[in-house]
Amino acid sequence: MLFFEKLIHILYFVMAGLVLLCFLKHLFKRKKNNGIVFDIMYAYCCIPFLLRILYIK
Amino acid sequence: MTDKTQKKTSPKKSLIIKIVILAICLVLAAIAGKDFWELRHYKETFVASEDLTEVKWLSDYVPSLKGTWNDGPVYIFDSGVPGGTVLYEAGPHPYEPASILSAYVVLENAKVTKGRLIVIPVASMSAWTEGMCGDAYPMFYHIETEWGTKQYKIGDRYTNPLDQWPDPFTYVNYPSGQQLAYQDIRNLNRTYPGRANGTQTERAALAIVEVIRQENVDIAIDCHEAEILYPVTSTYVAPEKSLDIAMMAGMNLSATQFLMKCEASPKGLHGLSHREWADYTDAMPFLMETPEVFIDKITGPRTESLMTEGKDEFLQKATDAGLTYFPYEEDFGTPMWYRAGRHLSGALEILFWANQFDPDLGIEMTWPSYSDLEANGVGYYLHDPEAPENKDRVQYVYHEPVDKV
Repeated sequence: MLFFEKLIHILYFVMAGLVLLCFLKHLFKRKKNNGIVFDIMYAYCCIPFLLRILYIK
Repeated sequence: MTDKTQKKTSPKKSLIIKIVILAICLVLAAIAGKDFWELRHYKETFVASEDLTEVKWLSDYVPSLKGTWNDGPVYIFDSGVPGGTVLYEAGPHPYEPASILSAYVVLENAKVTKGRLIVIPVASMSAWTEGMCGDAYPMFYHIETEWGTKQYKIGDRYTNPLDQWPDPFTYVNYPSGQQLAYQDIRNLNRTYPGRANGTQTERAALAIVEVIRQENVDIAIDCHEAEILYPVTSTYVAPEKSLDIAMMAGMNLSATQFLMKCEASPKGLHGLSHREWADYTDAMPFLMETPEVFIDKITGPRTESLMTEGKDEFLQKATDAGLTYFPYEEDFGTPMWYRAGRHLSGALEILFWANQFDPDLGIEMTWPSYSDLEANGVGYYLHDPEAPENKDRVQYVYHEPVDKV
C-alpha cells in the first residue's frame, strides 16, 4: 500500500510537469487566441505547476 | 482586437514579448517561492528545561514514518521517581499556534519531581510547513521577550499536499469505516488510531497512539484552539473514562480563573483523539480547546495582531447578537498569553484532579500557569537561545534532527 501511495504521489508530480509543458507549448505555439492577454495568462498559469514540481508549494 | 494586434506584430517581436512575459512570471514565482520555501524549512527553537532527559522521534515508534515530513521530535522528562506518565501533545492543527506556544512554555520551564512527562510540541509536522491554501494570512507571529523578539510559525490544519496528495472523493476512517469529508484524510485529528501502512497522516496518528501505548501514558492531553462560532470552544472534551476528571477541572477553572466547559466525547464519532485514544490505549484522554478568533470566518483582515491580540469588531457584534459560544469582549480580545495560559492551567488542573481521584497515580510536575502568564506575559517564560548559558540546551523543532543552523 505504501508503494502504491508513493507511486500515485509521484504520478501527480509528473502530471504537474506535463501540465507545465502544455502551458509552455501554448505560450509559444498556438493557433488561436494569439493576443498578449493569452500570453500573460499562459505564462502566469505556469507558476503553481512550476512551484509544485520544484517541491516548494 | 487581439487578432488585429497580432497581425501588426512581427513573429520575432512576438517571441520577444512572450519571453519577457515568461521571465516576469518566473520572477514572480521566485518571489513567492522564496516565502513558501522559508515557511516550509523554518526551524523553531526552544531552550529546554534542565529536567529534559531524552529526545525520541515519532519514527522510533512507527518506522514507516522515518524520512517523511510528518516525523517529529518527542521530548521526555523522566524524574527518575516511579509514578504516572503524562503526554502533553500540541500542534495537531498548527493553525492553532497557542497550543504549540504553550508546549514551548512547558518544554522550557517544566519541573518534574515524580513520574514522567512527554511533550510533543508539533504533532502534525507537515501541516506546520504551509499556510492555509486560499486564506491570505501572515506566515509568522512574534512574541516580545526581555531579550528580544521571538518569531514563530503559523501553519495549516491539514498535511501539506506536497507530502500527501491526492485526496479521495470521500475519506473513510480506518478501521471504523466512518465516512468523513475528503480533506480530512490529511487531518491528523480525524485519522486516529492510524495504521503503519497508511497515508503519512495515518502513520503520524499511529505514531502518537504508539507513544501512548509504549510509554504507558496515563494522562494524554491534546491541545487545540477553536473558533468562537463553534460550540466546542473553551472546552474540555473527554470520553467516559476521563469525564469525571474533566468535569471537576472545568468546574473549578470556571469558578476561579476562566470559563472552561466540558463535553462528552461522542461514542460514534471516529478518528478524533478523545475517542480513539480512549478506545485504543489505556490512557485517560483529554482534548482542550481555547478560543482563537483568528480562524473564525467572519472577522476583518487576518493580520498578525488578530492572531496575537484577537480583537475584532465583527465578532463583538456577533457575540452581542448571541451568535457565539464564548463571552467575547473586543476590548480584551483573546491575546496569545491568555490562550497559552489557558492550556497550561487547563493541563495542570487535569493533573490535580487526576491525583485527587487516584492518589496512587503519582504525578508531580509543574510549569507556569495562567496566572503566571497573566502577571508576566508569555515572553517572560521563553529563554534566549543565543545566550551562552543556554547554548547547550537549545533544541530545534524540525522533521529531522538538526544539530545547528
